[in-house]
Amino acid sequence: MKKLEEVLKDWEAVIGLEIHAELTTLTTKMFCGCKLEFGAAPNTHTCPVCLGLPGALPVPNKAAIESIVLAGLATNCDIEKHSMFYRKNYMYPDMAKNFQTTQGPVAFCMRGHLDLDVDGAAAKERYRLEELAEGESEGNITRTADGYTAHVGITRIHMEEDAGKMVHIGGGEGRIAGATHSLVDYNRAGTPLIELVTEPDLRTPEEARLFMQKLRQIYLAIGISDCSMEEGSLRCDGNVSLRRRGSTQFGTKTELKNMNSFKNLHDGLAYEICRQAEVLEEGGIIYQETRHWDPSAKRTIVMRVKETADDYRLFPEPDLAPYDLSDEFIERVRAKLPELPDQKAKRYEANFGLSAYDARHLVEHRATANFFEACMQQAGDDAAKLAKPVANLVINDVAARMNADESFDLAACPLTPARAVELVKLLAEDAISSKQAKEVFAAVLDEDKDPAAIVEERGMKQVSDTGAIEAVVDAVIAAHPDEVTRYKEGNQKLIGFFVGQCMKEMRGQGNPKVINQLLAQKLS
Amino acid sequence: MTQHVTEKDVRDIATYTRIALSDEELPQMTKDLNDIIESLKPITEYDLEGVEPTFHPIGSLSNVMREDVETTSFTQEEALSNAPKQQDGCFLIPAILGGGDQ
Amino acid sequence: MAAFGAMGVREVRAGLAAKEFSAREVAEDALSRIKAVDPQIHAFLEVTEEAAYAQAAKVDEAIAAGRLAEMGPLAGVPVAFKDNMNMEGTHTTCSSRMLENYVSPYTATCVANTIAAGGIPLGKLNMDEFAFGSSTESSAFGITRNPWDLERVPGGSSGGSAAAVAAGLATITLGSDTGGSIRQPGSFCGIVAVKPTYGTVSRYGVVAFGSSLDQVGPFARSVEDAALALNALAGHDPLDCTSQDIRTDFTANLAEGAKGLKVGIVPAFMEAEGLDAEVRDKVAEAARQLEQLGAELVEVDLPNAQAAMSAYYVLGPCEAFSNLARFDSVRYGYCAEGHKDLGGQYEDSRATGFGPEARRRIMLGSYLLSAGVYEKYYYPAQQVRTLITQDYVRAYEKVDVILAPVSPRTAFKFGEISDPTTMYLSDMFTISINIAGNGGMNMPVGLGAESGMPVGVQLISPQFKDENMLRAAAALETVYGPAPVAPAFCPER
Repeated sequence: MKKLEEVLKDWEAVIGLEIHAELTTLTTKMFCGCKLEFGAAPNTHTCPVCLGLPGALPVPNKAAIESIVLAGLATNCDIEKHSMFYRKNYMYPDMAKNFQTTQGPVAFCMRGHLDLDVDGAAAKERYRLEELAEGESEGNITRTADGYTAHVGITRIHMEEDAGKMVHIGGGEGRIAGATHSLVDYNRAGTPLIELVTEPDLRTPEEARLFMQKLRQIYLAIGISDCSMEEGSLRCDGNVSLRRRGSTQFGTKTELKNMNSFKNLHDGLAYEICRQAEVLEEGGIIYQETRHWDPSAKRTIVMRVKETADDYRLFPEPDLAPYDLSDEFIERVRAKLPELPDQKAKRYEANFGLSAYDARHLVEHRATANFFEACMQQAGDDAAKLAKPVANLVINDVAARMNADESFDLAACPLTPARAVELVKLLAEDAISSKQAKEVFAAVLDEDKDPAAIVEERGMKQVSDTGAIEAVVDAVIAAHPDEVTRYKEGNQKLIGFFVGQCMKEMRGQGNPKVINQLLAQKLS
Repeated sequence: MTQHVTEKDVRDIATYTRIALSDEELPQMTKDLNDIIESLKPITEYDLEGVEPTFHPIGSLSNVMREDVETTSFTQEEALSNAPKQQDGCFLIPAILGGGDQ
Repeated sequence: MAAFGAMGVREVRAGLAAKEFSAREVAEDALSRIKAVDPQIHAFLEVTEEAAYAQAAKVDEAIAAGRLAEMGPLAGVPVAFKDNMNMEGTHTTCSSRMLENYVSPYTATCVANTIAAGGIPLGKLNMDEFAFGSSTESSAFGITRNPWDLERVPGGSSGGSAAAVAAGLATITLGSDTGGSIRQPGSFCGIVAVKPTYGTVSRYGVVAFGSSLDQVGPFARSVEDAALALNALAGHDPLDCTSQDIRTDFTANLAEGAKGLKVGIVPAFMEAEGLDAEVRDKVAEAARQLEQLGAELVEVDLPNAQAAMSAYYVLGPCEAFSNLARFDSVRYGYCAEGHKDLGGQYEDSRATGFGPEARRRIMLGSYLLSAGVYEKYYYPAQQVRTLITQDYVRAYEKVDVILAPVSPRTAFKFGEISDPTTMYLSDMFTISINIAGNGGMNMPVGLGAESGMPVGVQLISPQFKDENMLRAAAALETVYGPAPVAPAFCPER
């Protein structure tokens, strides 16, 4: 199979996402007062309503409606005042009523968008980006200094309810195929769920990943969900089709499921694009089907073929009142909007003089942004001076650690903002080298000690005191008269020898910059 | 009388609604459904241009919601008290073939 | 035998207050009368002896503590519930094999309110399966007989509820009405039967048939008893979004009489094809009586009511299809044995658990909602609903209440109507009221000249003006008297 980069030269990928988020920060379910809690004993958070007992009726959770309106406001959607719940009828055992209560043609939130900043390696997936000049636009993208921004449309965000959970037994690895039985637990059934549907505006797996990431930042910022992809409170399905470069017609799309991490989202889409290209290039046809991304096998597998469009017999839910949201309701929700990541990044640029790149990457995670701000508070008067080195520490070292270990919790780790500022100060004051700083960073996390203590303990404190270094330099010059002569005769390479000797004398703690300066001065 | 649904249609409807329908029952069910659908004709002959639908009989009904406050749930025993089959605190069902939407 | 089930609410309360008898005696007597009499009628599917005694004990305690005055309007009154109403610890079968073994783990609000008002719960009452029918013949657990003629149907779907009151087995019973299921059996059994305005009584815990049409209401032998029951039932329930905050005292204007009341007559109804002469005559007579009592008769037109029937047979099955999807053998209900895959278990369970009418309506609803068909039937039916509602609104600009037939004929014999579309005609005068959501009730006005069976008239109120029809009914009651217990079951006093 060809590589993505190759495929995207000939084919344009058209990607749309459907992103489900459980409103996990609420206390109760969508239509009943059962508690929302992950991991409770099976069927202990159930009642007549969420078990779909005969005669039970739904009553919507007001806080859920506020949450979805908040989500809509945060993603530039129009809030529809008039909307209704509908019944989406299909029989499946994890859905107690055998219909899902969802919204119809009009959702609470319609016609929104997010602007994605795509930079660095992520920008490279975009075909022929280099042909655009900075500030120049093509389609939904605009070239920037370090990549491009993509304007991605949001069709709608609608309110619905989650299904229960099933465990398939008697087969292999809990898979449905080959199972003889299934166990159904309705604790999750009725969990408030919002589904965001994008326009087919995404063109690369990186854009899809960034969209998901940005949406997650926003949802976390507005506090409507814990957005755990691992526990399934944030889930993403992708619709992918290909068309020849230059074509304006859409190809047949497949729906991709089980992309439960950012990496899986990227890799699953990348694989599916390459697979479709291969099928098409061999003269085959793409079937409209649902496919499952298998990260261990690194391929997508067919789940089911959709021969005809699903007929869900949608009709307005008679048991629920229609909505007629007042301006007052919407404004009350708007007042709850916190600072969003984009606004935060702008503030970092303005207040701390950070570059757009640094600011953008700091706000990529709520944890890193919070951490950065805590550091700035800690830094006090030095904030402006330390902003850039703190940003570097966070974007490089901290982010690398977070990427390497998904369970890494920055807020609870041994690297407190105070320690981070201390570490950055040591570096800024030339007390340690940048190489030593990396070692100290790792040691703080491993040993839960203050940076100064680690520097002290390991005796790695960098000596920058000119007087002390001068004594060593003088001693080294005095001890090597031959080398001094040869140096003065023109063998400039010997400077390295002198530096090495000085460092050796100082057990590696001399500031190389100062040593170099003094040697150059004294040998000239 | 117009044939609104064929035996094949009725077979498909039975499959969709998950109700087994024997070959013997099929002709009668098809006839019954056609009779009933025929009796619905007045609906299709009305001039309804510009008439808004009434989905809820109480015209003023809107924005009915509850506060996000926890209420008592069933115990596991209560939840499963009517379960035809159960195992490990869950409802037990035979294999799901063919998958579904989720 | 004192036959408390044959007493009215006021009579029971007076006896309790005077300590002529205790609530326990009421319960004992009512239960033993059911044991003795009900085998002939089969109104009850389950008798809740334990709950009856427990409740009687509570009432007696209150009386002993001198708190009878504080008790609800139904203190010590024998009551019973249609079997589509959940009552914790009882079977709620909807007269279907599907729910034969289902034991309610919770209680419907209407049941809870009735018991909270002091009612002594005697049991659960037979009905057409899932309320699909007009004769109670579709019950999976046997027919219910009309106490006025055991060879005739009691009507339906709330046939058990009507028969129990007509036979003096209970003072108040509850039924549900989606297209006429309270009013028509009320008329067949000659008792007062009220379907209040949609939203008056909570539907929570009542197994749904057509969610936008269903409404709970009482059966009684007097207008006052029905009004007292409504006082206990009506009001907002936080568990039902469509229930309204009703604070009407439904007994308040019962004594006002008909003087000055504007009563609408719909000529098209009176001239309707299929309306039996004996029924028409009785409705006309009732109109004259009201006029003599000082009411003004005004002709009103409901031009779109003729489309109500087809709108109903679109909307009802569509909602029922979806409401009955939950009966899938997974969490409760009938489960066919021996299936290795869920699909097989689903199809077998639903084919066996549901009776023929339920299967027909589910399949019909599924068809009517399918892509391309929805636009042809469901959507227009909801538009027609607008027109019918507007008709009523316009009519009520001129009148306070409308007088009409309930059923085109009196109670028919078992097996007499087998064709579904003919059976559907039983509801021709009642359906438009459910479509528009206003209140309607049956008021018995004596026996038909030809059949000798009870005939009732329908009184129809504007939305949330149910007191209007109750006032007109109370006026008629001054002429016709309260509904008697059916002669064959009249206890010796």
